[in-house]
Amino acid sequence: MADIIEICPLSELPPGARRIVEWEELEIGVFNCGGELFAIEDRCSHDDGPLAEGDFDPDTCTVECPRHGSLFDLRTGKPKTLPAYVPVDTFPVVVEDDIVKLEVD
Amino acid sequence: MATTPDTNAADAVASENASLQHINADYTERYGFHDAENYLYKAPKGLTRELVEKISEFKSEPQWMREFRLKALDHFLARPMPTWGSPSLAEVDFDEIHYFVRASERSERSWDDVPEDVKKTFDRLGIPEAERKFLAGVGAQYESEVVYHQVNEQLEAQGVIFTDMDTALREHEDLVKEYFATIIPPNDNKLAALNSAVWSGGSFVYVPPGVHVEMPLQAYFRINTENMGQFERTLILADEGSYVHYVEGCTAPTYSSDSLHSAVVELIAKPGARIRYTTVQNWSNNVFNLVTKRAVAETDATVEWVDCNLGSKLTMKYPSVYLMGERAHGEILSIAFAGHGQHQDAGGKIVHAAPNTTSNIFAKSISKDGGRSSYRGLLEVAKGAHGSKSKVVCDALLLDEDSRSDTYPTIRIGEDDVDVGHEATVSKVGEEQLFYLMSHGLGEEEASKLIVNGFIEPIVKELPMEYAVEMNRLIELQMEGSIG
Repeated sequence: MADIIEICPLSELPPGARRIVEWEELEIGVFNCGGELFAIEDRCSHDDGPLAEGDFDPDTCTVECPRHGSLFDLRTGKPKTLPAYVPVDTFPVVVEDDIVKLEVD
Repeated sequence: MATTPDTNAADAVASENASLQHINADYTERYGFHDAENYLYKAPKGLTRELVEKISEFKSEPQWMREFRLKALDHFLARPMPTWGSPSLAEVDFDEIHYFVRASERSERSWDDVPEDVKKTFDRLGIPEAERKFLAGVGAQYESEVVYHQVNEQLEAQGVIFTDMDTALREHEDLVKEYFATIIPPNDNKLAALNSAVWSGGSFVYVPPGVHVEMPLQAYFRINTENMGQFERTLILADEGSYVHYVEGCTAPTYSSDSLHSAVVELIAKPGARIRYTTVQNWSNNVFNLVTKRAVAETDATVEWVDCNLGSKLTMKYPSVYLMGERAHGEILSIAFAGHGQHQDAGGKIVHAAPNTTSNIFAKSISKDGGRSSYRGLLEVAKGAHGSKSKVVCDALLLDEDSRSDTYPTIRIGEDDVDVGHEATVSKVGEEQLFYLMSHGLGEEEASKLIVNGFIEPIVKELPMEYAVEMNRLIELQMEGSIG
């Protein structure tokens, strides 16, 4: 059964913004790409370093791993460039009553 | 008067020894000469944001490439120098390097249009002659830029693109933009970041689907000036079912202060394609050779790196293949020869990221006169890459007590159903081997050469004949005077 966790009011996550949240053992990055919201695990699949704090490009909806430069597609979690080659986990994001919520399991 | 077979054999040996004596005159004689500097532009030493902008401006690049360079510069400046590899890495002085030198106005398609002294250099290195005899295309880079580029007309008619990277960015921008830095991003490592900031020259190859380039394409990289930094950038894209063999060679003059060569090479083999990339690295012993080379092999594709390292002061280079599609195959054949004052830190990396992929790494190193060689390798089998097979064999030969060899293999296996083997040997040229050969009439030096030739033969035989001959000659040159 998936848990729903509340992140923040939508107004606090406008287009181009991101937020990193913790849930149990997980850290998750939530990104607003031009009005669409996406969430990925904050862990690069290349060497397990932090990912979500890297350069975020809302236009291409990608984030760049700050450690070795792999570019991840936030929509799918798939790396678009090496050295990472394994996708990272993604999480469904919903907005209810103007609150951004994350579905995690 | 008829000559006996014995006399012929003796003559042949005498003639070979004479020619080796001549070759052994020194590296300077053959490769280490330098030309007068009649340059259009020579950047002062040191790396600045202004210089990076100037390089981009010189080349009239699109805005995205200029931004790419500047961001890479930030990465380079922010990253510390690696602390692994070799202690001599700490000697690299980034403030003492000329990062951009322009020797000619443009890349020419006729040797007659190349500036006279530059053309003479390549004549002396035998490049135009090799082009006439057995190559399908040639690129010749002198300092920062490619001065000559030509490809066989029939290949051009088939849609093969073989040009320098600067021209590719101008004439095939969409293709370059789609693939450039997708295999090696600027932030991959400090030296890749440096290359990304100041890259200049290198080759761009595109082979259309189903086209087989039967004869090799060759690039030759030449450094002329002292304290030079050469940062070529190569991207090879072999489309579905195509084949290409790319060969690179390099030399530089011998100076008392150091130069830096830091290339980035990206290979993409689309489904069913095969790329072979052969390097005969023969930099002078004052060049730091710090290179990042990586390839992707998609479904049923093959990538082979044949990597021969003879020259340089320090080489750190680990060509890698990511096997991304089912049944892809990767092969790394590496020879390193470390003589006095040299450290060859070579090896290779293979990542099995898809099922039923196969790979081999065969690495051979020879150390003499206090030289140091290292094998540094990675074999990774990802979860889900079931049915993968890999064999890693690294052998080191030490020719004396002062020399050194190290092995740093890393193996990560994330899947149960795999077949992985690793063998490593270190051997010394033993008294018994020498005695056996000498008891058959060979001198000590010839006996040592024979042992070394036998040791590297499995890899040398993979080279095209002309390069195998050159490789054997270079090894013999390195072996001269090793007894005594």
